[in-house]
Amino acid sequence: MRFVCGELPFDVELRDAKGGYDAVVNGEPLSFSLGPVKDGRCDVRLSGAPTALHFARDGRTLHLFWEGVAYRLDERREGARATQRHDAGALEAPMPGRVSAVKVAVGQKVAKGQELVVVEAMKMENALRAPRAGVVRALFAGPGDMVAPGRPLVEIAEEPEGA
Amino acid sequence: MAPPFRKLLVANRGEIAVRVMRTCRELGIRTVAVYSEADRGSRHAREADQAVPIGPAEARYSYLSIEAILRAARATGAEAIHPGYGFLSQNGDFADAVTDAGFVFVGPPGDVHRLMGDKQKARRAMAAAGVPVLPGYDGDDQQDGHLLAEAERIGWPVLLKPARGGGGKGMRVVERAADLASALAASRREARAAFGAEALVLERFVERSRHVEVQVVADAHGGLLHLGERECSIQRRHQKIVEETPSPALDPRRRGELCQTGVAAARAVGYLGAGTVEFLMAPDGRFYFLEMNTRLQVEHPVTEAVTGLDLVRLQLEVAAGLKLPLSQPQVVSRGHAIECRLYAEDPDRDDLPAPGRVLHLSEPRGEGIRVDSGLANGSDVTVHYDPLLAKLVAWGRDRAEATARMQAALRQTVVLGLVTNLARLRAIVEHPAFAAGELHTGFIAQHLAERRPPPCPPPLAVAALVAALRQPGGGGRAAAPDPWAKLGAWRLGGAA
Repeated sequence: MRFVCGELPFDVELRDAKGGYDAVVNGEPLSFSLGPVKDGRCDVRLSGAPTALHFARDGRTLHLFWEGVAYRLDERREGARATQRHDAGALEAPMPGRVSAVKVAVGQKVAKGQELVVVEAMKMENALRAPRAGVVRALFAGPGDMVAPGRPLVEIAEEPEGA
Repeated sequence: MAPPFRKLLVANRGEIAVRVMRTCRELGIRTVAVYSEADRGSRHAREADQAVPIGPAEARYSYLSIEAILRAARATGAEAIHPGYGFLSQNGDFADAVTDAGFVFVGPPGDVHRLMGDKQKARRAMAAAGVPVLPGYDGDDQQDGHLLAEAERIGWPVLLKPARGGGGKGMRVVERAADLASALAASRREARAAFGAEALVLERFVERSRHVEVQVVADAHGGLLHLGERECSIQRRHQKIVEETPSPALDPRRRGELCQTGVAAARAVGYLGAGTVEFLMAPDGRFYFLEMNTRLQVEHPVTEAVTGLDLVRLQLEVAAGLKLPLSQPQVVSRGHAIECRLYAEDPDRDDLPAPGRVLHLSEPRGEGIRVDSGLANGSDVTVHYDPLLAKLVAWGRDRAEATARMQAALRQTVVLGLVTNLARLRAIVEHPAFAAGELHTGFIAQHLAERRPPPCPPPLAVAALVAALRQPGGGGRAAAPDPWAKLGAWRLGGAA
């Protein structure tokens, strides 16, 4: 499924797995389990103590509440065009924060799921991973830069045919 | 005991109308709600014994219309009118019109509202009664040259306040003489637009000050009590969002002085009913009269939590001419209480109101927790009225316990569908400076200006959402979970 939060797209692939789910969100793999869903609430367990997820749907808009913060996502139909920037292969900062590491260089070949840039916010590190295999075409931020959500950080070009 | 009135009209809406009607039910008083077109079917209208439409959404043709409210009172045979807070609650002409029409007004007479609603007259009356006021100027000579001389005498920085104003409008801090003329012009312009009068009061501006206030209640037989103080230093846009009692800044001697001063202020103006005398407390511990609110306060539940008294009940009894049922030594404060105001507003956009529809709510529960709310199934938060969603009150045996309970209550609170200040409230009560009791009116600017929740959810939350949507009961892809299923969980303003 695909959602958009502001300008930032979320592509979610979900598979049933033993005791829970395997998911890939914007190229990042995750495994978790889920408690029963009741009245728009369920417990989510990654490891350790569960976190409560609350959600409500309003047409194509989904409201969710996670760790004390309310978010709003807009659902896009499967196969709908992604945003221009995403199509162009630019990956954006997921949240306001500080770039703590840049793990690739311009011209470098990257594999799907490879870590590209790490953004640190509120003592949490979020790795941006390559959504597909390709070549780093441009880097828009360096270590220590403060970035706003939605700011492009890395641009990935698909590898040319036959390369 | 017979109820003080047979039937009472509440000239208000939202949580305070629901709150007043709860006490009426307990006392056996029948209730009349009034509602505007925007509030058709709202909770305060549904919970009343009778509900009367009084006009369009725009407040000046409905909740601010004296004629519409008196018409509703006549049509329903109400004996008394409770004004709540805001709207007409401090309007002396309304108080007089209610009395002249043969109803009982639950509050002081018109003259008291007019005196305290005028910052010049109120300052003069308080100074004459020996209540400390800030160095300032409350005279009638409003020429620039004279105000400059007064500002030099007071000492910089000075605060300009519209004499007829309130709510922070037209207020301005002036740092030096060179900035005075333009600040005067701007404040006068805003004062004229908002309050219809240009006159300004000048006062010394005190940095890092606290806001403390004394709850008083007076009967018509000379009885006058204080119910302790509240500290309301945590503010945004000059308006309170977190309040508590007792104040962590007062020792017993200073508390006694403050409360006695509040009593003296109320006695000087011949007060009747429940009222609040607000003071600014300087960093050196001295306090100065700010203003008197001639009505029930939003934050009255913290006083109820520590004293065990029902302030609305006291209001109704003294309005009916009864004597106060207790004496000052019988007022005993126990433990500590904190209130957080949950608003539909966006802390990341200058605290602008954020209207919308409440899709999902979970109220906090637990020992010592009280929730006052006017929300109900189908609640829309509109641009017409104050965007207060609910008041969360936590009581504990001491401040640490009350704080821990409030933190837990805020963690349990869930609001979906609109932007709220919930994350900010959590940041406040979880801040080390709050735990240390280091409060002042610039607390948010000092500690929380840069603190923002991430605008996009972490990947795990989104993946879990997709999984939840596919589960039985998750609503699937097309069916919507009933957004109102949860709303019944909001308690009906019940005390914990």
